[in-house]
Amino acid sequence: MRRVTQKSYRSRIVKTLNYIQTNLDYELTLEELAREASFSPFHFHRIFSGMLGESVKELVRRLRLERSAIELQTTAMSILQISINAGYESDMAFSRVFKSKVGILPSEFRRTENARFPSSSKACIRYVTSGHISSFEPLQLKEYKMNVMIKDINSMKVAYVSHQGPYQECGQAWDKLCSSLAPEGLLGGEAKMLGVSYDDPDVIKAEDLRYDACITVPNDFQIMDDIKVQTISGGQYAVTTHIGSYNDLSDTYRKFFGQWLPQSSYESDDKPCFEVYLNDPESTEPEDLVTDIYMPIIKVCQQNTADKEN
Amino acid sequence: MTKIDLFKLNKSDYIAAKKPVLIDIKEATYLVINGQGSPGKESFNDAVSALYAMAYTVKMTRKKQNKGDYVICKLEARYWSESALPLNQIAQEQWSWQLMIRTPEHVENSDIQQAAQALLSKGKTVSVENVSLCRHNFGRCIQMLHIGAFEEEKRTIEQMYAFAATEKLTPSSEHCEIYISDPRRVPPERLKTILRSPVTST
Repeated sequence: MRRVTQKSYRSRIVKTLNYIQTNLDYELTLEELAREASFSPFHFHRIFSGMLGESVKELVRRLRLERSAIELQTTAMSILQISINAGYESDMAFSRVFKSKVGILPSEFRRTENARFPSSSKACIRYVTSGHISSFEPLQLKEYKMNVMIKDINSMKVAYVSHQGPYQECGQAWDKLCSSLAPEGLLGGEAKMLGVSYDDPDVIKAEDLRYDACITVPNDFQIMDDIKVQTISGGQYAVTTHIGSYNDLSDTYRKFFGQWLPQSSYESDDKPCFEVYLNDPESTEPEDLVTDIYMPIIKVCQQNTADKEN
Repeated sequence: MTKIDLFKLNKSDYIAAKKPVLIDIKEATYLVINGQGSPGKESFNDAVSALYAMAYTVKMTRKKQNKGDYVICKLEARYWSESALPLNQIAQEQWSWQLMIRTPEHVENSDIQQAAQALLSKGKTVSVENVSLCRHNFGRCIQMLHIGAFEEEKRTIEQMYAFAATEKLTPSSEHCEIYISDPRRVPPERLKTILRSPVTST
């Protein structure tokens, strides 16, 4: 069953890769890409970059450059035209980027026999002239070791303050939330501190990242000040523990979505992930911070998986 | 506004050396709760959560009132026995303890009462009523870092006592600890605990 799921993730990603390559000159939307691979758009980017080691944007940029390299060697097209084909406004900008990847300028590359565009893809994906990518090597981390527990949780009522911007600045939201709940006696007992992040920092600009700082509250909690209330929906979650600085959380997310999920018998559900903070970042050294990451999941039905394979 | 971090401001009180050292700790303010029973068991854990609930409620309420902010310090504990016997000769269930969190001097009793009332009104941590603010003076102490399970503290304590003997000091019957790591998460062999033994000159 496990193998079936992974194969399914793989063949679906291959479909996306070919779609990207065929439409290399277009701006592809998240919905379009996810639909092509029959993934839900919700966590698509995380699964994609987790399995491939690069984001859709990075891949597109790289494939365009690889295509330019081929054009340089096999056509007489001007470098300016090749630059524009690769999505650059000028040949200068193109040349600069090209040199940073290949080590030599496009003009030198064109003159040098046997010059090769270096392979930088961790998943062995290259631009294919024949137009079809048949497979790839999903990123396998050598030290990949991840303890994951499947938990069934009840839905939780939380008081929250939203934050938009770099994750490093969400402390303001926490201060506001904690200082509003403290005088009400809501910081005691089993109150849990949760963070809900709605975006993938690999894809979304830091200033646009949306995050909710949440604290669990009793059911009779009344809305106050600027504190809002929402429900974290219950159900099945895969849970892994991240130990270390919050700045490295995205690495763990990448492994969780890119390594663990495709090898599991689950799919991610269309709900955001959330984090539970188990110690106080003010008095704990960053390397000792403990965070549980909850990924909403649904069990893959064997029948469905087989259907998708066919 | 800068946050007061008493743990860092009083670094010399929290020396975590691999060899025993002699230090002098001045009087300071602590948020405390007293109790009896085995560390890590029910009454102890209940006291820990009551103490933390109070610590964070006081801190964040004061912050809301623009009375300044500070970092919640590491948990400390003093252990002693009501009988005349030394701690290692009586059952853990009979250990008396005082759990403490070092707190800035400007925190007032009224802050504590207010916080306890707020928490009690939500009917959760009843033991918050037993949390109080007090001054304590550890005075001269021998201190050393213990790395490993709590059960293995004996080897560290022996080194501290040997050091006391060479320095012509008498350890008191009280045993103190400062918890650097989180025992819920850190495996026992990697737990870091500062052991502290108040001493008097022989």
